[in-house]
Amino acid sequence: MLFNSYAFIFVFLPVVLAGYFWLGRHSNLAPVIWLAAASLLFYSVSNWQFVALLLASIAFNYLIGYLLIAAKLARAARFAALTVGVAGDLLVLGIYKYAGFFAANLNALLATHFVVDILLPVGISFYTFTQIAFLVDAYRGNVARYALPHYALFVTYFPHLIAGPILHHKDMIPQFEREETKHPQAHLILCGLIIFAIGLFKKTCLADGIQPLVSQAFGPNTPTFDQAWIGALAYTFQLYFDFSGYSDMAIGMSLMFGIFLPLNFNSPYKATSIIDFWRRWHMTLSQFLRDYLYIPLGGNRHGSLLRYTNLMTTMLLGGLWHGAAWTFVVWGALHGGYLCVNHAWNNFGPKVAPRFEKPANVAAFILTFLGVVIAWVFFRADSMATALSVLSKMADPTNIALGRGELAYAVFIAIYAAIAWFAPNTQEMMGYDHKNRKVGGRLEGAGLRPLYLYAAAAVLAFGILGIQQHSEFIYFRF
Amino acid sequence: MNIAAKNITRLLCASAAIVLAAALLTFAVDPLQLFRPARFFAAMYSPDSRMQDAGLIRSQQFDAVFMGTSLGIHFRQSDIDKALGVRSLKLAMTGSNSREQSFVLDSAMERRPKRVIWQMDDWIFGKAPDVDSDIFLPANLYRRNASGLAEYLLSGAMARESLWIALRSFPALGPVVAKLTNGVTFKFPITDVDDINTLRRDTDIAAAYNKAKAFAAFRSMLAPSRRGSLSQGYDLDAMINGLQRDAIGLIMKHPEVQFDIYFAPYSVLQFVAMRDASPATLKTSYDFTTYAFPRLAQLPNVRLYDFRAVKEVTHDLDNYADVLHHSPAIDLKILSWLAEGKYRVDPKAPLASLEQLKAQVEAYRLEQP
Repeated sequence: MLFNSYAFIFVFLPVVLAGYFWLGRHSNLAPVIWLAAASLLFYSVSNWQFVALLLASIAFNYLIGYLLIAAKLARAARFAALTVGVAGDLLVLGIYKYAGFFAANLNALLATHFVVDILLPVGISFYTFTQIAFLVDAYRGNVARYALPHYALFVTYFPHLIAGPILHHKDMIPQFEREETKHPQAHLILCGLIIFAIGLFKKTCLADGIQPLVSQAFGPNTPTFDQAWIGALAYTFQLYFDFSGYSDMAIGMSLMFGIFLPLNFNSPYKATSIIDFWRRWHMTLSQFLRDYLYIPLGGNRHGSLLRYTNLMTTMLLGGLWHGAAWTFVVWGALHGGYLCVNHAWNNFGPKVAPRFEKPANVAAFILTFLGVVIAWVFFRADSMATALSVLSKMADPTNIALGRGELAYAVFIAIYAAIAWFAPNTQEMMGYDHKNRKVGGRLEGAGLRPLYLYAAAAVLAFGILGIQQHSEFIYFRF
Repeated sequence: MNIAAKNITRLLCASAAIVLAAALLTFAVDPLQLFRPARFFAAMYSPDSRMQDAGLIRSQQFDAVFMGTSLGIHFRQSDIDKALGVRSLKLAMTGSNSREQSFVLDSAMERRPKRVIWQMDDWIFGKAPDVDSDIFLPANLYRRNASGLAEYLLSGAMARESLWIALRSFPALGPVVAKLTNGVTFKFPITDVDDINTLRRDTDIAAAYNKAKAFAAFRSMLAPSRRGSLSQGYDLDAMINGLQRDAIGLIMKHPEVQFDIYFAPYSVLQFVAMRDASPATLKTSYDFTTYAFPRLAQLPNVRLYDFRAVKEVTHDLDNYADVLHHSPAIDLKILSWLAEGKYRVDPKAPLASLEQLKAQVEAYRLEQP
């Protein structure tokens, strides 16, 4: 089921909310079970064939978690349990996500003819990572024992199940356990509704609106210089509004249940360096990769050379996490390279004199944005050949179409760029503070001006009016 | 009720009011003319034929339907009417498969046409999703069920088009709005139903259709990176299933309707490309004809035509924009052949044209410019 569908907005969400709060009057556990069951229903509507896999994954990880937390095992046995748990998770992910890629490469290298045709279970990358983090923390002794319904809800919680944000058990399960979240809080519901509306608007009006322009570069025809740039920039903004729209919708609807989800975006295209970009883009993935890959690899604790090696390894695997294709590996490698250069520049580059700080920041902003756009070409392209072809057209200003269509498209791109660069982001508008569990401070009491309220109503209405048939979120396929 | 709860109510009510206003505007202007023919506002048409056809079926008067792919998209209804003495409705859809075509034709049958002119080729019968999983075809709009009408009335894009059409209908604003309507930003730029997806009358035909372009497309098809695409869609079992389900099934369902089916005149280069780069695909193509022609030709309400072996057209590469798509001059020839009954497949010798085609393809030697 899609967040941007009539069935979800007008039926599923209101019914689940009503059931959650009604059960909350009588029990603290029943709403948790209700929400977990609703989440499974949500998943099964379009992915029924993978429900058993999801349930098996939850049972497996809960069992391993039990061994690590509650069973009094010797150190070696605990490590063995962790190894089995993580290996099991990675094995399942590997089979479903990477077996086809592995076979294709093997065929190319050895002229074999293995055929692997396995459907990718939606959300598997997200719920696998979430649970690996749980197991590692359990092994480190950082996890209290959780009840099965709470754990199941933590994994399946429908606002995040399909495409994140990647949740952390320490952040989420205590919220599921709190009694207050089971009672409706009008302020949180109002703020959640507005955040949901902003996300819906981003998805249906902005992301879906610019989507047709992407084919200028990635369509069947060979693009000219301007068409290649229009297509690449259109994808740059489509991806941002699509994914950040999804994240806003997840945060907004979760807030209606009284649950605060972590932020996933913080105006990434305003970044003035690649390091800054990765603190703003898909923040929960960055944090996961940092805590469970980069730091365990050694992080920056063993000298510069190892630091850069660890960075590259982390970003390569981060690229591969997005999809089983060489284009994603190259995308990850590019960002790994960018980060190494950025760190090296910070360490060894000249310091900017205070009077040149502003122009230097502008230059850094432009350079960062261009680097990101170039990397997105690999992320979007179906093959390396397509990516290189689009990039070669972007570097060939001698071949320009610049017709009426291209000019109109350029205006579209400029409008999207202005929104991404100059508009405040959702959390700034709504005062969303995940850490302190606060939101909409300025909207409380009589502070909500009618203009703001009616603007929010218009955003929700336009979001609903923008709903199209069959418009999936891009990150569903990762 | 506390202030936040009141604000929730206000927000939801205001949103509902805006959505309702948009739906009312779409209902009043009705860009697709689903509810009534255009009276108060100018009739405007979209080149998105998968969507537009749902409205045309409701709004137009016709006794004949023309169906096809991009190979039939440029036909003018007025030319069809003149050549065949009918009142036609063109429902051709670029890149359409037989499932889509059959579904749209079946919807049009509710208006009881007497005749269907159906441009076919092998490719339309390849594997295709069910119409309800087809992301390009608004199936519920054709069915006019609650879901389809809700999608239509609750569509912001349709409300925007409605507003645009309404503004255009004001005499003072009309010329300015018309100038701004360019098809890039607004999707209903066509004022005459006869102009939907036709070539502009000032198109330089010689520049658009010539030997050089046909050969360029041929070379591109044979490039190592694209050779694989030659066999795409050529799965004999799937093609036979498609033929049975979408063509023969529909034809037998409507015995009162006369079906004039023709296989479009590809340039000979298409078959030569298969001959040289993918012989198995060429064999599949021939096998499909061997299966399809006897079955189609024997149906009592079918007149089957095969234009693929019309050498004076298929070997004159100045007729083509690529290896497949012929010029509007050939459109007119096709209509005249249909009117004369020329190149009709004889039900007693249904594979005669195929044998001619095979011989031509075998004999053809490339003379690239």
